[in-house]
Amino acid sequence: MKQEILRKIFIGAGLIFLSTFIVMFIRHLDVLSHREAPEFRILGNKNAKIHIEEFTDFACPACTGAHKIIHKLFKAFKGDIKVSFKHYPLLSLHQWSMHAAAYADCAGQQDKFWDYADLLFENREEWGFTEKLPKEAFKTYAKKLNLNIDKFDACMNNPETMKTVKMDMAEGKMLEINATPSFFVNKKRAVGARQLIDKVRKFEYLRRKK
Amino acid sequence: MKLSDKNKNLLGLTARIIAGTIFIYAGFLKATAPSEEFAFAIEAYEAFPPFIVTIASLSMPWIEIYLGVFLIFGLFTRISSIVMGLFFIFFELLILSAIMRGLPLADCGCFGSAHSNSATFELFQNLVILCFVFLAYKFGEKFSMDNWLKNKSIEKTK
Repeated sequence: MKQEILRKIFIGAGLIFLSTFIVMFIRHLDVLSHREAPEFRILGNKNAKIHIEEFTDFACPACTGAHKIIHKLFKAFKGDIKVSFKHYPLLSLHQWSMHAAAYADCAGQQDKFWDYADLLFENREEWGFTEKLPKEAFKTYAKKLNLNIDKFDACMNNPETMKTVKMDMAEGKMLEINATPSFFVNKKRAVGARQLIDKVRKFEYLRRKK
Repeated sequence: MKLSDKNKNLLGLTARIIAGTIFIYAGFLKATAPSEEFAFAIEAYEAFPPFIVTIASLSMPWIEIYLGVFLIFGLFTRISSIVMGLFFIFFELLILSAIMRGLPLADCGCFGSAHSNSATFELFQNLVILCFVFLAYKFGEKFSMDNWLKNKSIEKTK
């Protein structure tokens, strides 16, 4: 009887070890941590051979510069590049960034994500460092883009909206992002605009390959 | 209608495989995703303090995987199915309380964030799984490692 229990414990420990090993191995393969951004946050050709994943905070100055670089790259490649935008607000530095991200997603629901993102970057000093949540500023940008404000508000009140932003943040944490802007160019990490340009250049040959 | 012993055993084995696979799948989805995703789903129930949420989001996926593996192999079958059943009853009560409190659950968190079913759907789905767990508990001993080890030790003592 005692031996039977010991055997069970031994086999149980083996099964625990084996299943842990398999799951950790799959995690290590990193096949599951990258997930698609919502459709409205994807720019360019979906089948492009260069795919940039951008983890950004709307209130961070370096992200503003990098965002302009993204637009320049997009023009230079004549749209033959895929850019997926992921939110990664650094809450310890910018308390309203997560809200800004959610508002941008709500603009995205009305197909104006990229325009709204441009406005957020341009006006980051206006909304980024206020004491209270700058709701009015966020709504003013929405009005500038002629968004339907009722839909915009309804979207903000939907818990799914904030959840999507938090999912991006969780993904960023899993990818061990500590600085913004961080990019993944064909899954290779680049931090800041300069590294982004270098990485894109490295993959440029892929475009010429048929 | 009375089931023969053979059919009961087959039913037990099938129930073990189904319940075990579901548990492994649910645990696997959570264990391979950022733990914050599951933590976010737990937070939505507004029922636990933050440290419990953190502990649960880190440990639950693994507990589900191990219980699922034990149930499929038929190791500690009874204990595994009892623990699994208690988990499901707890999940059911949690979902039910969220529905009663009118919480806006985006998803129940049962299968990580990959599957976003409504709370009511999950409530019904968990009931079905609970039936399989019960069948595994009731008839799942025959084709199990527990039984094999038991026979082996009996043979040895003879």
